[in-house]
Amino acid sequence: MAVLAKVRAAKRAAMRAGEAGTRTEYIAFGLAGETYAVPIGQLAEILRPPPITEVPRAPRAVIGVVSVRGRLVTVVDLRVRIRLPPASMDRRSRILLVDNGVEHVGFLVDDVQQVWRLAPEEIEASNVLGGDQAAHVAGIGRPAGFEGNVLILLDLRPLAESA
Amino acid sequence: MNEGGGRGDGGARDDFFSEAQELVDGLGRDLLMLDEMLKKGHVEPEIINDVFRGVHTLKGLSGLFGATRMAGLSHQLEDLLDELRLGRIDVDAGVLDLLFRAVSLYARILSSEKGEAEDPVHDVEQLLLALGHVSNRREGEGVGAVAQYELDPGLLGVLTEYEEHRLRANIQQGFALYRIRALFSLATIDTALDTVKANARPHGEIITYLPTGSGGDADSIELEILMASKASLGVLSKAIQTTGVSVEEVQRRALSHSIHATGLPNPPADAGAATPSISLHPAHPREAPPLRGGRSSAPAPLSDTPSLVASNVPSPATGAKTSARPGSGEMSLRSVSQTVRVDIRKLDRLMTIVGELAIVKTAIAKLTDRARSRFVETREFATELGRLNRSFERHLAQMQNGILEVRMVPLGQAFDKLARIVRQISREHSKEVNLVVTGAETEIDKLIVEELSDPLMHMIRNAIDHGIEARDDRLRVGKPVVGTIALNAFQKGNHVVIEVEDDGSGMDPKALTAAAIRRGVVTSDEAKELSQREVFALVFMPGFTTKEVATDLSGRGVGLDIVRTNIAKLGGVVDIMSDVGIGTKMTITLPITLAIINVLLVEIGGNPFAIPLASIEEAIVLDEGALRTIELREVLSVRGVSLPVCRLDRLFGFASADQRRGRSFVVIAQVGDRRMGLIVDELVGQQDIVIKPLGRTLSRVRGFAGATELGDQRVALVLDAAALIEEVLVPGETRFFGTADAGRS
Repeated sequence: MAVLAKVRAAKRAAMRAGEAGTRTEYIAFGLAGETYAVPIGQLAEILRPPPITEVPRAPRAVIGVVSVRGRLVTVVDLRVRIRLPPASMDRRSRILLVDNGVEHVGFLVDDVQQVWRLAPEEIEASNVLGGDQAAHVAGIGRPAGFEGNVLILLDLRPLAESA
Repeated sequence: MNEGGGRGDGGARDDFFSEAQELVDGLGRDLLMLDEMLKKGHVEPEIINDVFRGVHTLKGLSGLFGATRMAGLSHQLEDLLDELRLGRIDVDAGVLDLLFRAVSLYARILSSEKGEAEDPVHDVEQLLLALGHVSNRREGEGVGAVAQYELDPGLLGVLTEYEEHRLRANIQQGFALYRIRALFSLATIDTALDTVKANARPHGEIITYLPTGSGGDADSIELEILMASKASLGVLSKAIQTTGVSVEEVQRRALSHSIHATGLPNPPADAGAATPSISLHPAHPREAPPLRGGRSSAPAPLSDTPSLVASNVPSPATGAKTSARPGSGEMSLRSVSQTVRVDIRKLDRLMTIVGELAIVKTAIAKLTDRARSRFVETREFATELGRLNRSFERHLAQMQNGILEVRMVPLGQAFDKLARIVRQISREHSKEVNLVVTGAETEIDKLIVEELSDPLMHMIRNAIDHGIEARDDRLRVGKPVVGTIALNAFQKGNHVVIEVEDDGSGMDPKALTAAAIRRGVVTSDEAKELSQREVFALVFMPGFTTKEVATDLSGRGVGLDIVRTNIAKLGGVVDIMSDVGIGTKMTITLPITLAIINVLLVEIGGNPFAIPLASIEEAIVLDEGALRTIELREVLSVRGVSLPVCRLDRLFGFASADQRRGRSFVVIAQVGDRRMGLIVDELVGQQDIVIKPLGRTLSRVRGFAGATELGDQRVALVLDAAALIEEVLVPGETRFFGTADAGRS
């Protein structure tokens, strides 16, 4: 029965996935002079901004829609989304594509900088910043040996759910 | 409760859901047919077998996927159906109610397995309890009737319980029994037996057939076929006129003799169920006489017991359907139908690819034009390229149509479920309602059918709940006691129209307006301006669904705002007309498909937009002189008819809105029978596009049906003419919906 074969294949795949390193790769990007970072696994792709079609009467944070190889993607200004002052696009602007399970959502950032591999002990919980942090702030990254580099770790998935 | 092996593998579980859903739908259809038959007073045994098989398959399937609640319910149902099948319990409306309840519970269990709804534990338990009660209610039947016939005890001894039941049932209906002896050559027995069966079938029911053990040699075999028929011996012999076949009638014997012959006294009534199987199965090892509670698990109904042979003879009424379905006995091993089940998303993907190819095609056409006009030396090459591209275009169009056709399904898929709802609701309200369906064969995109079920259910529920009057009220005004709900579907151009019409009490426009004013939906001044259509449209307002209104107006409007919202999401509109005392008619107008549409490309404020041609009547140059402002609404006179217009640049808040000069155009949009002029800056041209939905983030933005990629990497938004017309023309708060965030530019 075809159904059973599929079940078995899924179980095998789950077993194979067991081994992975303890360090997590984060991709760092700039927003209004600060450095932010997201787990690289949350991103589907990084794009140079194509021409963006404005959607009248859309929520404020939405810049518009673009087509990425036939797939329609809503582009959100990440600055506006997390309540930073908006800025205009330039040559270094990039769009981070996130798959929220239903569709891809694009987040416009100022620039994309580098990849950091962070061990769990290099990550501080978000509550060091004080009481109520928004759900999208996952913690603070302090890569060992690079004192002075502070990464604000974001979880883009809740941000990709709505604007 | 989905601890089964399917967890973690979406594909297999999806298969489970689609297969289970199909089975449940099939059960629903069978039950409706059973209901029909019950009303006519004659139940075909085959239909109960169908239901039994469906439940049995469902039980196996749900067991495989660890859907324990479903498996448990199926198990209990199977017991009940087995009793029905064997005639130990009579089918009546009460039993049928339980079966219908089971089908709707199946649907709920399925959605709870998907995580879309709560687990209906309580309801399942209640049903199980009720099923238990019925299964214990057995009745004795024509005991001894069989014994009146001169039947060979050896033959009676090998009848299965089912065959025995059919035999008794036929005798009770007063049919005569015939014994057909036929000699078959072993080489051709399959076809020859089929011929005999086919000839005999119109005249009655074949109970069983067995080898006689005599009359045959190494190459042939003699079979004895026991058949019940109301035809005379002469008619029957004539029908089965084949060489080597003899027909004789089984004679009755004297009653006293019969009791003496079986060696048993007339049994007391309360032991009725068990007794016949004892008297008829003197020493039959295969089947222990089942007692209360029915089967445990062993006697698999789909195995090759002789009962199959009997049940495999389709009755004329159900024959065609049975053979086309899986699970109908031996036929299920070979694939009878030539169909493939495909996930709609796969078709969506194919459709997207076709759309991309269309874009490529447009780009090639542009290149060809350039090659032709610029360089003399490439002209010949361009002509060749142009010819190839036209051939490409033709094949692409065929492929597009092919995929679209595959996506189309008859509306009957949604209507079947509604017939069930009608039965259930009308019984709940003790109103007699007749659902008359026309145009169930009208085809529409599969996705639309799925989305239609709920709105239609709301509309029908409303019609029964509040439209159709109580029995006494109907009698008083001289209407037939049985109310009628007509569900009509037909195609009209690029649209499909679905009407839900009841012959109930109708709605009073005055009462509606009064209630709307009281609820603050409109002011009394506004109310005076409303046309009759607009008055009826008030029931679609969200504020119109409260109890207070419900008592005043017999509750019309419950959930109707949801209906309008859902229909609008599909790019359709709902209209409503009503006459007091005569009835109410709601009309849904929908596009046939959501996938590929032909659009007019326009430009507004420097941005490209697409307007579906299906909703466009014509496009004209705007004559500013013909514009009038009536009550703050701009109206254009077009050939002597007033047309409300909407300046899209203003509506969309484009910065350039008020400084534009030069001529503009009016695209006259029509949806249902509402018209409006959309003022745009430029007309660009026509194009076939693949429409893609806007993301979830933008789902609350009104006025757009989606977006599409143009050949040059740009994306154009597709205007939703129905939503725009609604937004601009319909009074009330909807006009401001989704504009709270507007003004960003």
